[in-house]
Amino acid sequence: MHPVLRLVNRNITISLNPGFLIWQIIFPLIYIFVAGFAYTSLIDDVPFENTKLDYPTYLATGMIGFNIMNSTLISGIIIWNDRRHGMFEQIMAGPFTRTDYILSNICTIGIVGILSATIIAFVGYPIFFDSIEFSIFTIPILIFASIFGSILFGSIASIISTRLRSSEGFNVIINTVFLFFAFVSTAFYPVSGTPEPLATAFYLNPLTYLVDVIRAGIFGTFSNFIIIEMIVLIVLAIGLFSIATRLLTKLDF
Amino acid sequence: MSCITTNSLSKSYDDIAAVDGINLDVRSGQVFGFLGPNGAGKSTTIKLLTTLIQPTGGSITILGTDAIKHPLKVRNRIGVVLQQPSYEPTLTVEKSLEKYGMMWNVDRKQRRDKVEELIESFDLQEIRKKKNEDLSIGQRRRVQVAREFMHEMELLFLDEPTSGLDPSARRKLLDFLKNKVKTGLTIFYTTHVLTEAEYLCDKIAIINKGKIIAVDSPDELKNRFGNEKTIKIHIAGIQQNLLNLLAGIQDCKIDFNSGTNITIHSNKSELVLMEVLQLLNKNNVIIEDLSAMPTNLEEIFIKAVNDSNASSA
Repeated sequence: MHPVLRLVNRNITISLNPGFLIWQIIFPLIYIFVAGFAYTSLIDDVPFENTKLDYPTYLATGMIGFNIMNSTLISGIIIWNDRRHGMFEQIMAGPFTRTDYILSNICTIGIVGILSATIIAFVGYPIFFDSIEFSIFTIPILIFASIFGSILFGSIASIISTRLRSSEGFNVIINTVFLFFAFVSTAFYPVSGTPEPLATAFYLNPLTYLVDVIRAGIFGTFSNFIIIEMIVLIVLAIGLFSIATRLLTKLDF
Repeated sequence: MSCITTNSLSKSYDDIAAVDGINLDVRSGQVFGFLGPNGAGKSTTIKLLTTLIQPTGGSITILGTDAIKHPLKVRNRIGVVLQQPSYEPTLTVEKSLEKYGMMWNVDRKQRRDKVEELIESFDLQEIRKKKNEDLSIGQRRRVQVAREFMHEMELLFLDEPTSGLDPSARRKLLDFLKNKVKTGLTIFYTTHVLTEAEYLCDKIAIINKGKIIAVDSPDELKNRFGNEKTIKIHIAGIQQNLLNLLAGIQDCKIDFNSGTNITIHSNKSELVLMEVLQLLNKNNVIIEDLSAMPTNLEEIFIKAVNDSNASSA
């Protein structure tokens, strides 16, 4: 077996513990089924591109992007745990290169990101079934979003994990950053109607681009703006991945 | 055949030399002890030899391969147990052994057999289902050392492998290592427990302030540094005038505080002992116990390091 695949096998084994699975599945389900339906009495329709969606549908599709982002936390946690528990050094003293280690992390977050997006898509399917617009682009766009979203957020988590040594520091920073990403984005609510500064903040957040692209794939609402958002995702993912790789390569023992 | 060869190997951090031009020649099939006080450069040397860090000067050849140019080739043939603990907190003991074997590309059937063999050899039966995060420091260390034997290797680096182990686990590990060496394994071993090095090592190097200050077999080191012997005599009853009588004996250092214990340090221990015995006999002093202490590695180590510090001061 190739060294990268061996490390992916190991990464998945150490990451998929019951706590993580509950976090990955139960948490978004509560959002979709509890918050989604509870807010229906307050929120009528949500405008999205040239269509209108009911709130549970809007939220369920946003949760796909939200879950991709959450699952990529795994990458930061793996690196941080490996450093804390001496496994990074041990792996580097074994039959692996730093490139193998970095690639294995990317593959792991890619796999976890796609699986997590699939789970939420399946669970949310009955909710947004009526509005779905299947086209030849739907699946490729969802895969594109899963892969680039995973790389982007995985890189952010990796960068944080290489810079921090204490568990308190790591937890505080990662929770603050990801809380900002989650709630200052279009995952939960649309940009239209929000105050101008908040609307600007929405578009400083990569999760907004990710969920917009996912919704465009599911509801078939492609526009030039969505293509620009896809390009932004690609550029950000590549840029942040390069920084994460550089930092990991320089990580000292 | 040479297993490890270094030439003028150096590693500096901000102009401070952690390893300062060391030359090593470790032969295959032996246990090479690497001793030194804290901060002497032992762990840095291990990190250099295991290709974890790059040297600032010199060359390293491991198992005939240039370790600076081909680090991965070297790492594929060696095992490393580093000083710091390393473990997967959420995995059980047997799962972490099994996964480590998988990481080294050991096939599934062989992995299963190895896990059972190592659980037996390292007394891990009772904790095999426990998670690493729930183990004591000593248990974790045993798992860490056991894990390294999940894969085949020609050379094993052990950086203080017995730290945290109880005496029986320590002895069991040393015997396990001795048996492995008989099958052709070469071991590069660092420790602070000098009795361990004496028990296990065929050759010993002492490093201080980044420089090798002595390399030889334990016996040869004793010959070189350990001419001085210690003789302890226990006498019956306190003898008030004995201190003055003993002060006349030449070529030795005598510790006697008017009590019942006399300790003699001398390079000419046999001659000095004769003189002391005659003197005690002449003064009707009854000897209750007499012991001659052979020079041990600890004394050699302290002497070598002190000599090195004195010459560099």
